[in-house]
Amino acid sequence: MKLSLLSKTKLFSAFFLLCLGSSTVLADTPFEALLADEKNGADWLSYSGGYKSQRFSPLSQINTVNVDQLKVMWAYQMQPTGISGAALQETTPLVAGDVMYITESPSSVTALDTRTGRVLWHFVPDITNDVLNIGFPRINRGVALLDDKVYVATLDARLFALDARTGAVRWETTVADNDVGFSLTLAPLALDGKIVVGVSGAEAGVRGYIDAYHSETGERLWRTFTVPAPSEPGSETWQGDDWQTGGGSTWLTGSYDPELDLLYWTTGNPAPDWNGDLRPGDNLFTCAVLALDPDTGEMKWFFQYTPHDTHDWDANQIPVLVDGEFEGQQRKLLALANRNAFYYLLDRETGEYLLGEEYSFQTWSEGIDDNGRPIVIPNTEPMREGNLVWPSLQGATNWFSPSYNPQTEQFFVPNRRMGAIYFKSDVEYEPGMPFLGGGEQPLDGDDASGAILALDVMTGEQQWEFELQTPPWSGVMATAGGLVFGASNEGNFFALDAEDGDPLWFFNSGAHIRTNPMGFSVDGNQRVAITGGQTLFVFGLE
Amino acid sequence: MLLKKYLSRFSGLIVSGFLLLSPLLASAQNLENGQQLFQTLCARCHGMLGEGSEGPSLTRPNLVHAPDDAALVSLIVGGIPGTGMPGSRQLRGQDGPDVAAYVRSLGELPSEEMPGDAIAGAQVYRSIGNCSSCHILNGVGFGIGPELSNVGQRRTAAYLRRSVTSPEADQPRLVDRFRGSLQAFLTVRIVSELGTYEGMRINEDAFTVQMRDMAGEIVSFEKSELISYEKVEGHSLMPGYNSVLNEKQIDDVVSYLMSLK
Repeated sequence: MKLSLLSKTKLFSAFFLLCLGSSTVLADTPFEALLADEKNGADWLSYSGGYKSQRFSPLSQINTVNVDQLKVMWAYQMQPTGISGAALQETTPLVAGDVMYITESPSSVTALDTRTGRVLWHFVPDITNDVLNIGFPRINRGVALLDDKVYVATLDARLFALDARTGAVRWETTVADNDVGFSLTLAPLALDGKIVVGVSGAEAGVRGYIDAYHSETGERLWRTFTVPAPSEPGSETWQGDDWQTGGGSTWLTGSYDPELDLLYWTTGNPAPDWNGDLRPGDNLFTCAVLALDPDTGEMKWFFQYTPHDTHDWDANQIPVLVDGEFEGQQRKLLALANRNAFYYLLDRETGEYLLGEEYSFQTWSEGIDDNGRPIVIPNTEPMREGNLVWPSLQGATNWFSPSYNPQTEQFFVPNRRMGAIYFKSDVEYEPGMPFLGGGEQPLDGDDASGAILALDVMTGEQQWEFELQTPPWSGVMATAGGLVFGASNEGNFFALDAEDGDPLWFFNSGAHIRTNPMGFSVDGNQRVAITGGQTLFVFGLE
Repeated sequence: MLLKKYLSRFSGLIVSGFLLLSPLLASAQNLENGQQLFQTLCARCHGMLGEGSEGPSLTRPNLVHAPDDAALVSLIVGGIPGTGMPGSRQLRGQDGPDVAAYVRSLGELPSEEMPGDAIAGAQVYRSIGNCSSCHILNGVGFGIGPELSNVGQRRTAAYLRRSVTSPEADQPRLVDRFRGSLQAFLTVRIVSELGTYEGMRINEDAFTVQMRDMAGEIVSFEKSELISYEKVEGHSLMPGYNSVLNEKQIDDVVSYLMSLK
């Protein structure tokens, strides 16, 4: 069967070589190509479009003048697997050469011909319907590419390496135990010879970690826990055995600075989520960003955005690496719009806190002090009778990606504007069960809304906003064509003028959009892709 | 792994089979257990009180995917393919039926003594009330306001009394998979180059709005082409009937509406 599939793929490749004169159909992705991903507009080789995670397309063929001419070039309907609850699609497609790689919920992978959208291969891991996913939907956010392999992390907490030409399994390994509530939903990050993944599961009371695996063999190279054991640095911020169920999951893809050789990875909430009485202390290293040595996993520095979080404000947002002049000095920066409604700048070499500005309405903090610690307003934690606080537990933004245009130094953030009544309750840890200690009642309907914001990356000052009907679940992508592509819950995929936020084009996909846009090119023609409902749409001018 | 899979499927069958033969148990203890499990496993998507959030509202008598109790238990345990509903394999033994009993209780309305005469109310509805000029009931009438065919299942008598006398008093929320979460029956006033329109919002996104005007016509606009767009909060297109109907007629028409199940 595998031989047959391989030979068919070769025939298909040969067909393309003849018909289109293309030099390669299935391109390998060496580490050097990943290093150059940001400058290479034709491909999109990693989740955030390059190690700096700027989600910026340097292509300008589609621009403010002609974007209203965009049309659907092809569409692909995703394949149901029979697994219940897997109807949301959050994948960011990757493109290498003439092949697009997407994931389909819960953890399938599909390779598509970028010219036609025709399927080249389809991989479905053997996941059963009783897989645990506690606190999040049954989704997957995409693959990683390195050399001749495609890597996918699965909902039942495994990591697969697939042959890029056929989809055949090269190796698989178990990252964590799904029976106690670990899952993997993120796109892995490929570095030089290694694949880095993080885990979901803080809502089940797991102790989070980040793992690196040998890209050729699947051997685990290192593991860094995000909650320290007794006597380890940071353990003074926990009491008793709380650390064993302390959360700090690592469920979103990180960033990498090859010059500093530092890996940046964010962490989620402490567990249980809403009852902080059960885990006194700052609960390091939850709701933080960690800078790690990619060869050993050793923590070089950390910055905790929300000490002792009680609102489920994970810091699992994309850490965007920015170089520029901050207060008269050239700095290497890490910019992050946090779920807690503040925009932060750190020095990414040292972890020094530089800036923390409110970018969205909130009612829990008077601001950020000189050390980067929020000045918490009393009585804003969850209460047994309920307590109304902004933002909601889904935050002022969430996992979906921001975008940074290095040409204009603008930082674009999809913004959720919603409050919630937070409740606190008692809870006891039981393996494989939700470990929440409360909940929320969001103020949605017409009481909630959303926006796309443009911020000055160096000050956090808002330049413009484009209002959305409801709090979005989709990311944005800026382009060198002066555009910002975004999407809405109502199913609109749209382009805004980056200069003033004016809407220039929109398309009704017909279903909820809950993913990130990305861009690439086919034979020199720019393409933009987004998934609405179960359908992947690819747009272009010609 | 294989054994686990079989056991899991077997336990699902037992739950469904049990319920095909037995009604849901709805003692205080069952409901309390169901509520606790609901708040742990379900509230994150359906809201702490079941009124809907990321997942649909459950505070209604008829659930689209659960025509009977066996189907409800089955989907609570096993999920719904093609939707965001994952199921909860953690629910064992009586837990699934208890969650189902609690979910059913969210959509149940208390039985109420009706002060009026439903037959006389039907006459009021058709004659002096002229309700058919704006509502469809069992296929008859004009569709501007909400359809009333099964309204007695969805609303309490107190709610319907308010709807008749002070229609603007309640602003229910609409949660469905096609429109997300919107305030239902919102009055909108729209001015475009073609004219001025007042009516009920049907749907809206960041770029467009669809409404039904007072003639029942559906109109769709691109927001960029509008001169003005106003959402009229705290207002209803329906007139209050305090000055049209006397107390007895209001009692009668509420009784009639409550009989529509």
